[in-house]
Amino acid sequence: MTLKVLAVDDSKTIRKIVAKAFAPYDCQVIEAENGVEGLAIAGKEKPDLIILDITMPVMTGIEMLAKLKAQPNLKDIPVIMLTAESGKENVINILKMGVKDYIVKPFKGEQLIDRVSRLFTLKPLQSQESEKPKCVSQQGDIIIFTLPERMERHQGPEFDTMFQQTLKGMVDAGQNKIVLDLHKVKEVNMFIVRLIIGIVQHGQKARIKMQAVGTGALASELKGFQETSELVVHETLDAALAAF
Amino acid sequence: MGDIQQLDLKSIAVNSTKQVFQTMLSMPIDVAASASESTISGSRVVGSVGFAGDVMGSIYIHVPGSFAKEMAAAMLGMEPDEIEDDDEVNDVIGEVSNMIGGDLKSRLCDAGFPCQLSIPNITRGTDFQIDTIGWVRHERIGFKKDNQGIVVDVYVKSVA
Repeated sequence: MTLKVLAVDDSKTIRKIVAKAFAPYDCQVIEAENGVEGLAIAGKEKPDLIILDITMPVMTGIEMLAKLKAQPNLKDIPVIMLTAESGKENVINILKMGVKDYIVKPFKGEQLIDRVSRLFTLKPLQSQESEKPKCVSQQGDIIIFTLPERMERHQGPEFDTMFQQTLKGMVDAGQNKIVLDLHKVKEVNMFIVRLIIGIVQHGQKARIKMQAVGTGALASELKGFQETSELVVHETLDAALAAF
Repeated sequence: MGDIQQLDLKSIAVNSTKQVFQTMLSMPIDVAASASESTISGSRVVGSVGFAGDVMGSIYIHVPGSFAKEMAAAMLGMEPDEIEDDDEVNDVIGEVSNMIGGDLKSRLCDAGFPCQLSIPNITRGTDFQIDTIGWVRHERIGFKKDNQGIVVDVYVKSVA
């Protein structure tokens, strides 16, 4: 069952860090900006866990916690406080109010997951193979590795691993030609460029012959980097295949 | 109640600032050897939080505008060119201020000066100074990260 987590923090940055920490697990993270919004969402969504900041405008985390504990249908939801204030009195007060745990900022996502793992069994998402994008196809003896139109930053390592697995399969099968199909990639930023650089370097290390397909803008961008300056980017897949 | 003159504000601010940069931004910073190393010229972003109770005070964190964007990118796990607007930068600088201020507030409470922390404020500009008056203690600490300067100002006075 998907774990429903409510993150209540006035900082969008902290809510993003919390959501990112839970991203590899079967969790749904719902966000609220302050105690009032948090209480309303808690009543409606009945989360399994609440990650609660203390210092917030409109209604602080302490006020929200007091109201939460006063509601019979919400009082048993485990709460982990996320606080920049580690003073002894502050910690004693929040523990007295019945929170399950507290984390002092600054914190890392791993710490949060570690604490949550003491309360719940977090199920990794890796078993969802069917949802993985299909990147690899083949024409004759040439492998085609296609990157999708949109990629989230957190998917970078996934595509990098997929490419390395593809290379390993090629080496095992005695294949040595690959087309890196980037024609769907519309938005070029440093994350994409770094991913492509990594892929090109893996290919060079495995001594694989590589051609690429992509837009003129992407080709110009890649020319500017030493690692990809020699990668030939064709306008069409047919042109890339014919180049071998 | 203790004596605020006895508090080692500088060590508290140095330790908490270094810890926030290391943990949240994966950016180790060093205390600047001289004031010139932490000088900020041009665009500047200043995050501040106040605390009030048996002591009153403020903390200001000054960073160069371009570096503020790098900080936002580091905290959000993005590249600086992916940071689209000032709101994201403001939020990160505000949160950094909150963490540094929260640590100082906690140390003050533990030392017998109960107080409450405000939510953060952000000031941006290229040519301004922040004047504060009536403080009993003031510590200014300069930090450096590569060629970037970071300045932390701590102001405290007792109320009683």
